[in-house]
This record gives sequence, C-alpha cells and structure tokens, in this order.
Amino acid sequence: MQEKTITITIDEQGNSTLDLNSFAGQGCEKVFDDFRGGDAVKLERKKPAYYSNQEIEQEESRR
Amino acid sequence: MSKYGSVVTVVKEERCLVEALKEMGYEVEVHAEGARLNSYYSEQERKVANFIVRRAQLRGAFGDIGFARQPDGSLAMIADELDEHCGYGAKWLGRVQQLYKEKQTLAMARAKGYILKRREVIQTSEGQQVRLQFAVRR
Repeated sequence: MQEKTITITIDEQGNSTLDLNSFAGQGCEKVFDDFRGGDAVKLERKKPAYYSNQEIEQEESRR
Repeated sequence: MSKYGSVVTVVKEERCLVEALKEMGYEVEVHAEGARLNSYYSEQERKVANFIVRRAQLRGAFGDIGFARQPDGSLAMIADELDEHCGYGAKWLGRVQQLYKEKQTLAMARAKGYILKRREVIQTSEGQQVRLQFAVRR
C-alpha cells in the first residue's frame, strides 16, 4: 500500500498549494481541512484516484 | 494521487505571526487592547494595531507597521500608505505570510501527529518557495 503523503508548497505571495497523495474519501477531506487551516480556498480539485480508492475502501468495508 | 488545492493565507494565529516577524529580524510589541501607530504626518488618521513593529526597525519606512484583529478573527496589516513604495507593500506582506504559513503548518502538524518528512527551499522565477512534505502516522 502506498504511503499517504501531504505536500504543501508556500510561495512568497502568501499563497500555498496542497497536494494529497494516496488518500480517498472522507479521510482525504479531513486531512485537506487540517492543512488548509483557516485559509481561503482558491481552487479545490479531486483527482481520479480519490474516487477509485474510495470504491476500494467501500468494498473493503463491506467485507 | 487524490486531491489538489490552492489556498490564500489568512493570518489568524498570534503566536505564529509574532514568530514570523521575529524571524525577519523585528522586535514585536504586543498590545491586547491595541496601541497607536506612529505615522509620518501627524495629521493622518490615528491607526491602532495589536502587533506593532516600530519605524526605527523598518529601514526607510515613514511609519510603524502593525497587525490589527478584525471582526472575522483575522489579523490585517496596517501601515502608512507611503510605505507601500518603500519596500513594505504586498511583497513584504507576502514574505510575512510565507513565514507565518510555514510556522502555522508545522505547529498544526505537530499537534495533530503528522510526520514531517522533508523541507525544501526552491528558487523559482517568481521567488522562493518553501515545500514541506508530511506523512500520516500509522
């Protein structure tokens, strides 16, 4: 299983990007909110793996 | 990969703001009830802030720079308009926010158990970027 990582890149204009890898579903949202803190979101995009991993998680929870 | 987002830093946490300003080499006055900022022209509107860097520490500045608590809980920069053109405008504030965001992120990560794996400083055509990589504690 791939390690779950969070990469935050902070620029000199006070903007930052958040890149979450190997997360899915609600867990992904919670981690995103932790790192967003009280900041204003400019752009938020789910990657394809967000949904595919979610299906896997749901299947695992059904077993 | 699962999610990507971009955010604009909102300064809210006092301790991280003070640490950021200190890292820039300033001594910061903290006034819970607010204190007046000195301006170049005495007839200018009196401005009040909770965190103040005095003009004596700001090379070439006309007035003090402060951060004042806003009704929404954020801390907004208050400065003499003349100083926007003396190196204390958007670029200066951006550097404060960059340091603030790094300190705020590291403090949050420590508190919530995320593991810092790597810290890099990257030079780009748009300036210096700080990249932090974290892992989730298993």
